[in-house]
Amino acid sequence: MFVIGIAFRLLYDSRFEKSLYDLIRGMRNHKGNEREYIQNCLKECRAEIRSQDLDLKATAMLKLVYLEMFGHDMSWASFHVLEVMSSPKYHQKRVGYLGAVQSFRPDTEVLMLATNLLKKDLTGASTTTIALPIVALPHLITPSLALSTLSDLLPRLSHSNPTIRKKTIVTLYRLALVFPETLRAAWPKMKEKLMDTREDPSVTAAIVNVVCELGWRRPNDFLPLAPRLFELLVDSGNNWMAIKLIKLFATLTPLEPRLVRKLLPPLTEIIRSTPAMSLLYECINGIIQGGILGSGDDDDGQEEIASLCVSKLRSMIMVDGDPNLKYVALLAFNKIVVTHPWLVAQQEDVILECIDSTDISIRIKSLDLVQGMVSSENLISIVGRLMRQLKSASPENGRNAAVDPADLDSDEEALEETINPRQKADGQPPPLPDDYRADVITRILNMCSRNNYSNLTDFEWYIDILTQLVRMAPLSRPTNDLESSTTSKSNFGDASERIGDELRNVTVKVHAIRPACVEAANAILMQFNKDAPSGHPVTSGAVKPIAWVIGEFATETVSPDDSLQSLLQLIPRITSPESLAACLQAATKVFSLIAGDSIAPWTPERKSMISLLMARIIHVFEPMAIHPNLEVQERAVEFIELLKLTAEAVSGQDAAGEDSDYAPLLLTQAMPSLFVGWELKSVATSAQKNVPFPEGLDLDEPINPNLNSLLANAQPLSMPAEEADEFEIYYNKRPPPTSIVSEPAINRLESREEVVGSYQQQPSEDAYLDPDILARRKAERRERNKDDPFYIGEGSSLTGTSTPIHNILQTSNGPDLDVDSIPIMELDLDKLNVGISGSVPSQARKAPRPKPPRQKIVIAADENIAGSGGSTPRHYDSENNSDSFTKSRAKQLKQSVLLGVDSTNIGSLNLEAEPDSRGYDYESQQREEAEMARAMKEVERLRLEMQRANERIQVAQGVDAEGTVVKKKTKKKKAPAAKKKKKKVVAPDAGKEPEKTNDDNDGQASAPVKEAAAENAEEQAAAENAEEPAAVKPKKKKKKARPAEIQD
Amino acid sequence: MINAVLVFNGQGQPRLTKFYTQLETSIQQRLISEIFTLVSNRPDGACNFLPLPPILAASGTSHSASEPHNDVPSLVTYRHYATLYFIIISTSTESPLALLDLIQVYVESLDKLFENVCELDLIFNFETLHSALSEMIVGGVVIETNMDRIVSGVKAQGTVTKRPVNEARPSGLGAGLGGTFVWPGR
Repeated sequence: MFVIGIAFRLLYDSRFEKSLYDLIRGMRNHKGNEREYIQNCLKECRAEIRSQDLDLKATAMLKLVYLEMFGHDMSWASFHVLEVMSSPKYHQKRVGYLGAVQSFRPDTEVLMLATNLLKKDLTGASTTTIALPIVALPHLITPSLALSTLSDLLPRLSHSNPTIRKKTIVTLYRLALVFPETLRAAWPKMKEKLMDTREDPSVTAAIVNVVCELGWRRPNDFLPLAPRLFELLVDSGNNWMAIKLIKLFATLTPLEPRLVRKLLPPLTEIIRSTPAMSLLYECINGIIQGGILGSGDDDDGQEEIASLCVSKLRSMIMVDGDPNLKYVALLAFNKIVVTHPWLVAQQEDVILECIDSTDISIRIKSLDLVQGMVSSENLISIVGRLMRQLKSASPENGRNAAVDPADLDSDEEALEETINPRQKADGQPPPLPDDYRADVITRILNMCSRNNYSNLTDFEWYIDILTQLVRMAPLSRPTNDLESSTTSKSNFGDASERIGDELRNVTVKVHAIRPACVEAANAILMQFNKDAPSGHPVTSGAVKPIAWVIGEFATETVSPDDSLQSLLQLIPRITSPESLAACLQAATKVFSLIAGDSIAPWTPERKSMISLLMARIIHVFEPMAIHPNLEVQERAVEFIELLKLTAEAVSGQDAAGEDSDYAPLLLTQAMPSLFVGWELKSVATSAQKNVPFPEGLDLDEPINPNLNSLLANAQPLSMPAEEADEFEIYYNKRPPPTSIVSEPAINRLESREEVVGSYQQQPSEDAYLDPDILARRKAERRERNKDDPFYIGEGSSLTGTSTPIHNILQTSNGPDLDVDSIPIMELDLDKLNVGISGSVPSQARKAPRPKPPRQKIVIAADENIAGSGGSTPRHYDSENNSDSFTKSRAKQLKQSVLLGVDSTNIGSLNLEAEPDSRGYDYESQQREEAEMARAMKEVERLRLEMQRANERIQVAQGVDAEGTVVKKKTKKKKAPAAKKKKKKVVAPDAGKEPEKTNDDNDGQASAPVKEAAAENAEEQAAAENAEEPAAVKPKKKKKKARPAEIQD
Repeated sequence: MINAVLVFNGQGQPRLTKFYTQLETSIQQRLISEIFTLVSNRPDGACNFLPLPPILAASGTSHSASEPHNDVPSLVTYRHYATLYFIIISTSTESPLALLDLIQVYVESLDKLFENVCELDLIFNFETLHSALSEMIVGGVVIETNMDRIVSGVKAQGTVTKRPVNEARPSGLGAGLGGTFVWPGR
């Protein structure tokens, strides 16, 4: 080894090549400056990979593949990958293929050149060599590659080695995804293998796996296979395969209801007998998904199986010690809830407990479920649970551990050196990630606003919830992230904006509660001012809708002056242009309300007060007149001018004189008239579609064609300001306000994890509302009930937090007294009537609880234009979305699914079509290829002959043999020339070629051997030739350098 | 189908990355680090399924099951052995519990190949890691679950080298990965 090393050293400068082992060792030994080390290694690899020595090349390749794993791009080496792939030695070839699998991307150009190599290896001699291209193909596949390798891949289906057979089957499936015609050629053989009872069981299993993948894409094709599949399910005894078969049957049963009857006995049998939990679970899952549950006729057997399934799932959740079962049971429930919501609702108790699980995965799944089963009875308790959860993971807790976005796209160095800074603190539940919090908030809002608030009984409670949510919403982030701008749904900034939107919706829709809403809006605004110290930006997305509420319904406020004050305080600190525009508008509205009183006498005091107020507003607005955002700028300029005019009028109206008892009209009439008028009502999202399109309006035509250049000119001006903003945000960003600063110590006596009580125990509001909100609630309640003789005023404090001692008692006794832990299932006598054991306890317990009387509150429906679709409060918060929205979402889904495989084409292929009608015909293709190959050989032979003749001539003429270098160009040019000579030989064969490439012009193809056809063939051959130079290249290299030739 | 198989250690350093669809290197890295963040924050006794990392959730799937789409990666399964995390990203056509078993089969096969496997074996023989995987999964579809066949398939491709002898074995790994860990629900 050492000697070889020395030899290398002598051969290649003075470098000592590293093996992969050395590289890894080096990386481990260079902790701290790995980056530099790796850069050096990459540099070395770059040099090594260019060497002629294949061993060295392959080693360098292996190192590159290793480094690629750490994120070091190796796309530049794609040509070298090809070189290593074409090595005759297996262990080098393997490295090359690994390199291709790991580094080739759809846009890798050399892929075209790999075709011939792949074809060659597919027909290789040893099993291991054949397996390489088969395994690699799924990673590289493109439609054209599929077309050209298919003919070599198909015979591998009948290879003697089962390993090759099963790998081929899967690869053909991946081929079919990009090139559906594959199926037409491959399916008959695959079917044959599946039917063959003597086939190797692992090959059969592979086919079943593939059929399962294809099954949901085109279930109709597999119905005829049902008997055989059924046989496999019953007899095979292979659990892995059984799982897949059950999944497959679940997609088939909706098409063939008779299957249900056939499947039930074996499935029930498996459920009762299998020791494998995974199989048991999939059986249940299959029964659910296949629509076997309650599919029409109410057989006794089905009733029985339904109860069996649901009770098994229920016990999966209840069973201790295996969170995985809990998770998958929730997954199954999630599938049931779509079709059988009532079955899930019966399991409310266990599902609700999962919401408080320490495991985020389980929480999210149960959240999904809860959303589906909410009703007016359980809404408050469910939302209470969620609120408590949000609150207990208090913001500063979550903030430290939340994923910093900068972390995610950090460079390789950071990745390699990460020493996990987020180690779990002992005993503390892991903090909730921001997106989970945002998710919970969205769900709370969805549940409450569902069906135009039909589940909501207590709007005052809802407003308090919203107020609390604003404080708990995760901080919105600057939207410079790529994702956040495109996918608004996962954007955290949205959470707070949605809360604001909800408040606005309620304000607009529910007349009765409007004053309370406006008060809440004011309070939130003040909170914003208070929380962020002056000079720091306010980024909450809730500002915009809340400012709108304050402006629009200023008449409902108790003290408009305070509203105006807080708006004016807020304006300089808002960063988002949209919020800013809303605030400007709102401030002016409030001002016009304050100042526009036409009845009050025009006294000197009032005059000076209004003048001062206007001066203050103008002062605040002035900087906005040069705001980079046009909307903000325009509004600011407008209002400033208006206010200046008004100020002039005010100063002109003498307050001391007798005849000037009235305020200036500009103030009392003109300004308010700008803002008052018809009351604004909520309009359905679909209404816009129904507005008739005005004629002659072209929305695509730019209003100002020069806009872009104008904007480009304006850019330099605005840039500095924005930059400064960013810096400011960066340096001044501070953790969001903590809402528990003023929390009384008594609250801390409560255990961190609230008493895990039974679900019917109303979670006390103290658990999730901030003290100040609570205090207000209590005061309101007292106020409301003060005339009620049955209401004991002071006693109210007992309903909430009890004394600490009582609390401690409760906590310690809690588990023992937990109603849910008592096994009620077995004791239940009504079982027979209801059928599902789990359902009864929850019903029985729920019954005595009286339904809270619904407040008599009118909720305005969305306004719409006749003929339009459903009315929704907002397009995103309801189940009955407008079609266009779902469609666009589906579209987006299709476009940008990461890791997803696009298989949209495969569904449209018709397998049943006549094999020889137009479509891809494997046999004829093969024939043609053979002919083509023969023709090519002939061409090559003739070319060589001619070349030799040429050489002879050159030598005879005494031309210097070393004179010119062979160029690609020469060859291309030569090819047709060579053919001209042997045209007669080639033409009859090549005449058939057009059939393959352009099926459509049959006329030309069937034409007899004529000059035209010959020309055509020639062109084709030339093209073929031109396409292949690089594939031929490796061969060429090995040949001795040809003597030069002169271009003709 | 299976969209990706990942192996990384407790520090988030990748030991194996296999994506069954082509993906930009930078996105691969981002995905790995997001999953690592999720995985390293798991409490004890949590289940072996992760919520979707933001990068996957953003690219089309929502948490809600209301729109089941079989082509979209929707399940992230992981198992933790000694210093390593094994992750499988898959669509809803795979059975979650079976995937857990699949990881177990993979690790047990590696254990057979290396005899008492530890992280170092995998670092220095990542090619073997790849070939063992390709005996089990091709193009995102499981082709073999029988351990003996997997092991013989890998051995047919060439000898499996043990880790270099002079490489010191860090303490704590002695127990190996394959070990006695058997998931009780199996």
